[in-house]
Formats: sequence, structure tokens, C-alpha cells
Amino acid sequence: MDHNWGYVAAGYGVTAVALVSYVVWLAQRTRRVRRSLPDERSD
Amino acid sequence: VTTIIKQRLFAIATLTGLVITAVLALWVAPPDAQQGDAQRLMYLHVPTIWLAYLAFGITAFASLLWLFPRTRHATWDLLAGASAEVGVVFTGITLVIGSLWGRPVWGTWWEWDARLTTTAILFFLYLGYLALRRTGATVDERGTRCAIAALIAFADVPVNYLSVTWWQTLHQQGTVFNDKMTVEITGTMAFTLVFAVGAFTLLYAYLVIRRLQLAQLEEGLEERELQLAIAERVRAERAEQVVSA
Repeated sequence: MDHNWGYVAAGYGVTAVALVSYVVWLAQRTRRVRRSLPDERSD
Repeated sequence: VTTIIKQRLFAIATLTGLVITAVLALWVAPPDAQQGDAQRLMYLHVPTIWLAYLAFGITAFASLLWLFPRTRHATWDLLAGASAEVGVVFTGITLVIGSLWGRPVWGTWWEWDARLTTTAILFFLYLGYLALRRTGATVDERGTRCAIAALIAFADVPVNYLSVTWWQTLHQQGTVFNDKMTVEITGTMAFTLVFAVGAFTLLYAYLVIRRLQLAQLEEGLEERELQLAIAERVRAERAEQVVSA
């Protein structure tokens, strides 16, 4: 039986990269918008 | 401050859930008797598409609430957009994982099979919906236009779900929900799948809350920029009047 760990590693890797990139984009965009609003505190 | 602490605790719980999912899926669950370790991709593939269905369902429900004059509120429109965006991220991951799983198991990266095709259609429909949200219009016009588009796009969700029963092409029938309603997964594998669905549900909730907060802030920014532009215009007009007098 072929184990195909390469495909498994690629799948988990791609998912991790996609989700981390989205979370980082959300955090950066939120910080940028908050900085543009004078009455909002940054987190 | 309490909200920030709550959000951080939520983030930690989500991250812990995802790490445990990875440990269960990659080390604890046994390899499949026929597919070997490639089947471990199921613990990502199934939760991401189920959560995408949920995301698009919430988009449709929020859109309905927007369309009814009695329940119309800006939050429903923003929630619809936030949920759709997270749904698109999950659908994109489903497609990539499916392709990586299909190559060793089916011998092909892609096939114009009913399930695969309707998933790709789902992805592009909601990508179009997100593009529509960026078109210029008043809040009311944009909200109504997008709510109708979201309801039309949602029609593909049941078609996608039932495609394996209706057409029976390359993609297998549901492991948990199929036409015979026989669960084809048991023991550690079933536990891992259920745990993964729980962890991804937390992730979905976390991402939608963060995206909704961002959308509300962006709306505040737009309003502020509009007020500044109006104030600038009024100042310019007054200055012109003073010069002409």
C-alpha cells in the first residue's frame, strides 16, 4: 500500500498557510483601519 | 478590555482545537485500509466543506433578514459579507485538499465530476458575490443587490451536496450522510472527524467575528471620510462666496 505522506504534508501545509495568511491579513487590516479612526483604540 | 481578553481566549481555544485535530489526524487515527495515509486529508476536506455550507447558509439567512423591511439592519448585510468571505476561504481549501487527495487515490488532480464541478461553481459564485459587494452604490442599494445575489448563489449548496446521489460520477458518496444514512466511519477515525468539525466550527466563528468587526470599522471609516469630504466642500464653497463678495 502506497502511503502518500507527501500529499498529506502538502494538504496540511497549504491549509495552515492559507488560514494563517487570512488571520494575519485580518489583523493587519483591522489595525490599519483602527489607526485611521481617531476615537478607536488599537488592540 | 474584557472583550479583548474574551477574544484572545477564544483564539487560544480555537488554536488548541486545531493543533489537537492535527495530532489526532496525523498520528492517532489509523491509516485507511484501502487508501493508506492519503485518507488523512479527509479530516480537513470534510470539515472545511461542511463549514463552507454553514457559512453560505448564514449568508443566505442574514440576506433574508436584510430583505425584510421589519428586520433590516446594517449588521445583517455586514454579517452576510463576513460569512461569505470565510466560506470562500474554506471552499478554496476544500478544492485544493480534494485535488491533493484525488491525485494518489483517483490518479488525477481534477475531473469534471458532478461534485467537483458544483464545488468549483460554488467557489466562483461566492467570489462573484464578494466582488459585487465592492461595487459602488448606497448602503441600501448594495445591501439589496447583494442579498438577492446571495440567495441565488445559495441554490448551488443543496445541488452540490446532493450531486453525489443524483449523478454518481467519480466522487464517492457521503461518509457520514449518504442516501442509505449508514455511517461509513467508526472508532478513532469517527472521533477524529467529529473533533475536527468542532475545531473548524470554532475557527469559523472566530473568523466571522473578526471579519464582522473589521467590516463595521471599515464602514465607520467610510462614513468619516464622507463627512470630511462634505466639510471640505462646504469650506471651499464658503471661501468662494467670500471672494466673490
